[in-house]
Parts: sequence; C-alpha cells; structure tokens
Amino acid sequence: MAFYRGQQGSVKFDDAGATAAAITSTRSWSMSVEKESLDTTALGDTYRANVGGLISGSGTCEVLYSASSGDETNVFIEHVNTANDDGTALFELYLDTSGSKKITFDGVITSAEYSATVGEIEVITLNFVANGAITLDV
Amino acid sequence: MAAIDLNTVRATIEGRLVTELASSPTIPVVFPNMAYSPPNNGTWVQCLTSFGGNDYLTMGGTTGSSNSVLGVVVINIFSAKGVGPGANLVVGKRVRDLYNRIVVSGVHFDPPTGPEVVASPSPEGFFQTQVRLTFETFEDL
Repeated sequence: MAFYRGQQGSVKFDDAGATAAAITSTRSWSMSVEKESLDTTALGDTYRANVGGLISGSGTCEVLYSASSGDETNVFIEHVNTANDDGTALFELYLDTSGSKKITFDGVITSAEYSATVGEIEVITLNFVANGAITLDV
Repeated sequence: MAAIDLNTVRATIEGRLVTELASSPTIPVVFPNMAYSPPNNGTWVQCLTSFGGNDYLTMGGTTGSSNSVLGVVVINIFSAKGVGPGANLVVGKRVRDLYNRIVVSGVHFDPPTGPEVVASPSPEGFFQTQVRLTFETFEDL
C-alpha cells in the first residue's frame, strides 16, 4: 500500500485562470470541502432526515518568502490585494509528486498574513475560498 | 539548483576566519585533520565546522524543493597561560564579530555563544576559551 508524505504535495496557481504554474517555496497547504445539510425531516418521522446542499471549499497555503519576482509565486502572495477580483484565479493543490492527484478550482484569496520572526524563516500564510465547482481527483 | 556542496559552505566559514586572523596581529589557525604543533605560550585558534540536522523546508521532490541545513562552528582560542584572560578575549571578540548575525554566501550565522573559558584546556599548557555558533544554510534542489 502506498502512502504519501507532505513534501510530495505542491501548489499551482494562475491568476489569469488559464495554465497554473508551480508556487515555489510552498511549505504546506490544506483545504476543506464542505457540504451543507438540508433538513428534510417530516412531521411524525422518528429519525431526522437530511439531504446534501451547497458545496463550498476553503483552505490555507503557507509559502516561505523568497523575494521571487516576475513569476506566479509573486502574483500568488500579492493576489489578495487585487481589486475587482472576479474569482477566476485557478488553483491546483497536488497530493503527489507525479502531479496526477489534485484538487482543482477557481477561487479567491481572502487573506494574506505576512510575518517575520527573529531567527525563523519568513512565512506568508494565504487563505482562500473556492468560487464555483471543485474538482476532486484524489 | 543543485544539492549543497558542503565544502563550499565550509570554505565560506573557514575563509572568513583565515582572512580575519591573517590581518595584524596575525594568529595561526588550525583546522581538523591537519598536523599542527602549537607554539609555546603563543596564541592560536582552532576551528571545527560540523554539519548537523537537515530538514524539509518546502514541498517538492528531488527538484524544485529546498532543505534547511544546520551546522555548528566551534572555535577554540588558545593563549598564553598565567597572564590573565585579556589577550584571549581580544581574539574572542575578533572571532565573535566575524560571524555575529551575519549572512554571507547564503550562510546565516546566529549570535555566537562565548567566548567561554574552558576549565581543562586541550592541549594543556594554554589558557583556552571557546566560541560556538550555529548556522543555517539552504539547499535548493
């Protein structure tokens, strides 16, 4: 049975929503895909009933600051500052090195925390939400 | 991008010390695995560079990824016995200032520890202090 370790993952991004490029110096990513439940319990039922509702996704990505410029990594860490963001930026979150197992969606970067701590590598933490369909190919 | 060359890192560390101690007043420096006869009652310095823990920094496989490479430099400072610590600490300050919070050629030096007096000098016959400092460098694959 094959198992995977975190370093086998990766993140790709394209603000134009076309061809995603690798985000260098990614330390971690995580994503939650959530489905609302709609209560369909009828009067007199013994057990509560639910059906699935709207699906949404949100997550976090940590990038080590490397002063990259002119590439998608730089766009990624600054994208929170985009005006009139129409949510068409392409995200690809990979689970394996070969690149075939991934989560794909368009989304919006909702926050970026830039931090510097004495004696530690500088980290930028980005939070995002999905816009529309989420494709799970995991 | 390539795997780290440990000798390049070592040369960066040792080169700074050699250059500094080659300036007046000149002080001999000795490195590991070298034959050396300490001067009688003179001042000399021994530099030991060791590589330690390595860790993942970023995601990725054998390309497009980065590792953290940690190490420690131990610098022993020997000076004449029975004449107080002053001359030894002058050398200690030179050594300490050489690395203190400096980033050179991608090697990040942390604040040094010491110079600390070594109770049992080795070799005997000297007054010995020790400066220790950790460093971190990054391997880009």
